[in-house]
Amino acid sequence: MDGNYVAMTVTIVVWAGLFLFLLRLDRKVRKLEGRWR
Amino acid sequence: MIWKLLIFILMTAVIVLSFTTPAPQQAIGEASRIMYYHVPMAWISVLAFAMSMVYSIQYLRGRQLSYDERALDAARLGFVFCVLAAISGSVFARVAWGSFWNWDPRETSIFVLLLIYGAYFALRGAVEEEDRRAALTAVYSIFAFLTVPFLVFVMPRIMPSLHPADSVVDATISITMGPTVGLILLASLVLFTSLFLWVFYIAVRIRRLQRSDLKKED
Repeated sequence: MDGNYVAMTVTIVVWAGLFLFLLRLDRKVRKLEGRWR
Repeated sequence: MIWKLLIFILMTAVIVLSFTTPAPQQAIGEASRIMYYHVPMAWISVLAFAMSMVYSIQYLRGRQLSYDERALDAARLGFVFCVLAAISGSVFARVAWGSFWNWDPRETSIFVLLLIYGAYFALRGAVEEEDRRAALTAVYSIFAFLTVPFLVFVMPRIMPSLHPADSVVDATISITMGPTVGLILLASLVLFTSLFLWVFYIAVRIRRLQRSDLKKED
């Protein structure tokens, strides 16, 4: 079960990193779209 | 913004539940938890390849390059999720069967699928002229998707395989999971699908920006 908590923590860290990356990319794209309008 | 936060919170909840609830298949043990990630990844690759086919048909009907670009983006994402499904499956194989790769019918079929879509990208790289490339790859994408149901759903079921066959549905298409496992898997499927659609939407918007940038340069 201890191994499960380690795996869970690693998965959450990876997921949070991926989510933040997507959020930043989304914002950057929106900013560029704003410039084109 | 709210739906993005909702995806984050619910996916985090799915991760926590997938590791803290009892393993979905007691006979296989802890390794069976990978099902909560492996099944949605495989599902997304099928969905993405299907979308690629639909956009390819739309391109052939209207000859608009934006549909060709969408078909390419969907195929790219489908390929990435297919690779992720193969990796998560081979991690499971290492734990359950003692080896990362056994050329089991499931593993062979996903390998063939990756080759088929690898050839799609090779074809795109081989044709220089934009309209010709779009038309050729659109036809290829339609034929490539015709193999997907056979390789993913039929072939692994008609040949003897080590892969757990009844972890989601059995041969009579009856659901075999308990309610907790079913709920976590369903939530995972919905959230992975939302995540895929979000990434696909970002890719489409980037393409649109690139196109308007090129027009301005002209």
